[in-house]
Amino acid sequence: MSEKIKSGQDVIEDFFAEIYNVPNADKKTIDTLVALYSENKFTEKNIQNALDSQMQIELNKIEKGND
Amino acid sequence: MIKLKQIKIAGIRGIKESLALSLDKKSLLIYGDNGTGKSSITDSIEWFYKDKIAHLAGNEIGKDSIRNIFITDTVDSKIGFQFSDNKLDTEKSIDNSYKVFNSNSSKEYYNYILESQSENLFLRYRDLTRFIVATKGERLKELQPIIGFSQVQEMRSILRKFANKFAKDIKAANFSNKKSNQQTILMESLGQNITSDNQFFEIASKLILPLKLEKDIKSFKDARFILKSIEAKEDSQLSDQISFNNKIADTLKEIIDETALLNTLYKEYHTPYFELKKDAEKINNLQLLSLLTEGLNVLKKDIVKDDFCPLCQQDKNKLKLIKELQQRIESLSELKSEKEKLGEKAATISSILQNSLNAVNSLLREKLFKEKENIETLRIINVFKDSLNNISSEIKKDIFSVEPLKEPALVQISTKDVAVLIEQSKKIVKEITESAKGNLKLQVHTKLSRAIDAYIVFRKIEKEQELMLNQQNTFEALYADFIKRQEEALNGFLTMFSGDINKYYTLMNPNEKVEDIELVPMKDKYDDLDGITISYKFYNKKLSPPSSLLSESHINCLGLSFFLASVKAFNKVNDFFLLDDVISSFDGHHRTRFMRLLISEFSDFQIILLTHEKDFFDIASSEAKRKNWIIKSLSWSAENGVGFEIPLVDLRTNIEEKFKSKNIDGLGNDIRKYGERQLKQIALNVEADLPFRLNDRNEDRMMNELLCGVQSKINKHSPASLKTKNNIDSLLASPLLIGNKASHDSSFKENISDLEVFWEDIKKLVKLFYCSEEKCESFISIKNFDTVKNEIRCSCGLLKYDWKK
Repeated sequence: MSEKIKSGQDVIEDFFAEIYNVPNADKKTIDTLVALYSENKFTEKNIQNALDSQMQIELNKIEKGND
Repeated sequence: MIKLKQIKIAGIRGIKESLALSLDKKSLLIYGDNGTGKSSITDSIEWFYKDKIAHLAGNEIGKDSIRNIFITDTVDSKIGFQFSDNKLDTEKSIDNSYKVFNSNSSKEYYNYILESQSENLFLRYRDLTRFIVATKGERLKELQPIIGFSQVQEMRSILRKFANKFAKDIKAANFSNKKSNQQTILMESLGQNITSDNQFFEIASKLILPLKLEKDIKSFKDARFILKSIEAKEDSQLSDQISFNNKIADTLKEIIDETALLNTLYKEYHTPYFELKKDAEKINNLQLLSLLTEGLNVLKKDIVKDDFCPLCQQDKNKLKLIKELQQRIESLSELKSEKEKLGEKAATISSILQNSLNAVNSLLREKLFKEKENIETLRIINVFKDSLNNISSEIKKDIFSVEPLKEPALVQISTKDVAVLIEQSKKIVKEITESAKGNLKLQVHTKLSRAIDAYIVFRKIEKEQELMLNQQNTFEALYADFIKRQEEALNGFLTMFSGDINKYYTLMNPNEKVEDIELVPMKDKYDDLDGITISYKFYNKKLSPPSSLLSESHINCLGLSFFLASVKAFNKVNDFFLLDDVISSFDGHHRTRFMRLLISEFSDFQIILLTHEKDFFDIASSEAKRKNWIIKSLSWSAENGVGFEIPLVDLRTNIEEKFKSKNIDGLGNDIRKYGERQLKQIALNVEADLPFRLNDRNEDRMMNELLCGVQSKINKHSPASLKTKNNIDSLLASPLLIGNKASHDSSFKENISDLEVFWEDIKKLVKLFYCSEEKCESFISIKNFDTVKNEIRCSCGLLKYDWKK
């Protein structure tokens, strides 16, 4: 394919290379997504589990802070 | 980039004995009549690269179809490759138990085969139109994996799904209501709303002031410590009663709010459910979707050869039938998408229902429900739970269910009794509290305990809402950024790709008013990429799709252009490709232009071009010879399967070597072949009168027919010399008989003497017509007719005979 034409892999790699520059995006959520992508675990189930776990950590902080 | 030096096939499909294609990185043109084994070459190469042969893939056709049926069980079927990079050289074989073995186990070879999977290495006539007549969705599906866009589409789909999911989850979570409920409890316990920890500590400290504990609450730890210190054993029963009734009131209050939302969502679900279900024909058709899809696959795989519908057995143009099926499938795909959207609505309702049912079940585990005085309360809550379960059962019905979804009014959750129960529980709490008015510790304990729980829940809800909103915004922003990137890349690719298709099509079809062929991405009503259409200008009018107007020949041409553009766009590892009989429906002009296109635009590629069309072979040969292509003809025999025809010089040497070694195995057949091929040239040169036959049958003439034709001609036109000098009568007698019998099944057993006589007669006849002078080496020909002397001559004029015009 011509050098000027981006392959699917190029599109994904460019997206992750510049993901922190996307306005209105939450850093912690992006950290989670970047980690999953770099571990080749970017699936719906893994994302949901990671976000649930992120949520649980934050809610536990409230519980702990109240103990 | 990889080119081929040699391919050696044995025991695969129609190829029994070893067939070697010595290529030395050059292009190859192969002519072979139908049934001579061209497809066996393509099948073998496909099996080598893909481990399967797509057109043979089916339930009843397995690996056994790969092996040639005449080889013995002890012989392996194999295909060997010598590549321009010899590190990749290998032989792949399959034994009688269908175990596959590969002689090259290097990492380089493994990577090469892996990378070759997405490359366009061969095209058969049957697959020419596959992309062109495919649905818009199929085209997208086919292109995406090749350009690596499957992964892109998958990522896009994930980002979109999460952006939508958070929006729905936030709506379903009803955060403001949940927070408001907790603030109400805080108001009841502490007398005001609480929005921060410090405010909570300040107000809680004021609450405990009447107890004169001389302690301030500066943390939740302090608050819990004070709760523990003012707990009195004698108040535990009252305290449990208050807690039990507060839990009934608080839990049911929250569920009542959810109930209002559930009733609304059920109504919103019910309307499109019936909109979809009321068109019974469409629903029935939706159930036929898999049948239609399978029918389309059957037609596309070319399982049905003629123009008729395999289901109703009526005559029907295959392309039109494919188009009709595609339209039906596409209209149903929209319906299928509507059904999926409905499923998403049902999932939202189920999720809310589940949360409510979990809360009710948790409430029902309270031990005080075992007390006699709470039986009625228990009954009311169970009735309420049943009404939640009713909706849950309705939601599980899909649009194919015989029993329709119940009207909203019939499943509406009534909150009347529950609302009374809430008030009653509150009243009980109030009464207990008032009865213990003088018990300051109990009063403070009850309020502080409830306030701590409510505030923690409030904080959690607030945090959950904040996080979910953040995540929703994040996924929406990422999705927007991602689709922009995807669309830019896809448009860039399609523009480049369309340019090549357009160029190749126009080179084969100049001045035909079909211009600006474009692959155009299409979006669904949700603005999601759902396909690729092909548009073009016809007499300056933009049209789409191609099957609506173009003839079958033009659609084939478009398919070929697509394949060639794909080769240029996607083949990164292999510098060769194979075209198997792809010009069958082309007329003469297209064939010449097609060959010139290959030579001008693909001169850097190694091409293997197979054809059964004699005319095209003649056209292609003259073009290909100039570019140093290798040119071969295939033949087939029951003994050896597929093989290349041996050149005449080699055939003569073979015959003479067999005579020397007294080996008569196949000798009669070789002499007959030699004689037939020489006689064809003689018959052509003297313009012998033979009955008309179509091109493909012309080659099948037997020797006696050719001899009679030549004899008749020379007797008439050359009575003084050729008529008297020829030995055709001898040939037509016993030696020829021996030749024919030796080449066919017969009980006749030829001996070496018979064959020697036959061979001498053939050579004598050829010598009569052929000038073997070094600079001439040509047969006498009418083209060299001397009109003055009335003679027919060879090219140099040394060999000449009288000839009457």
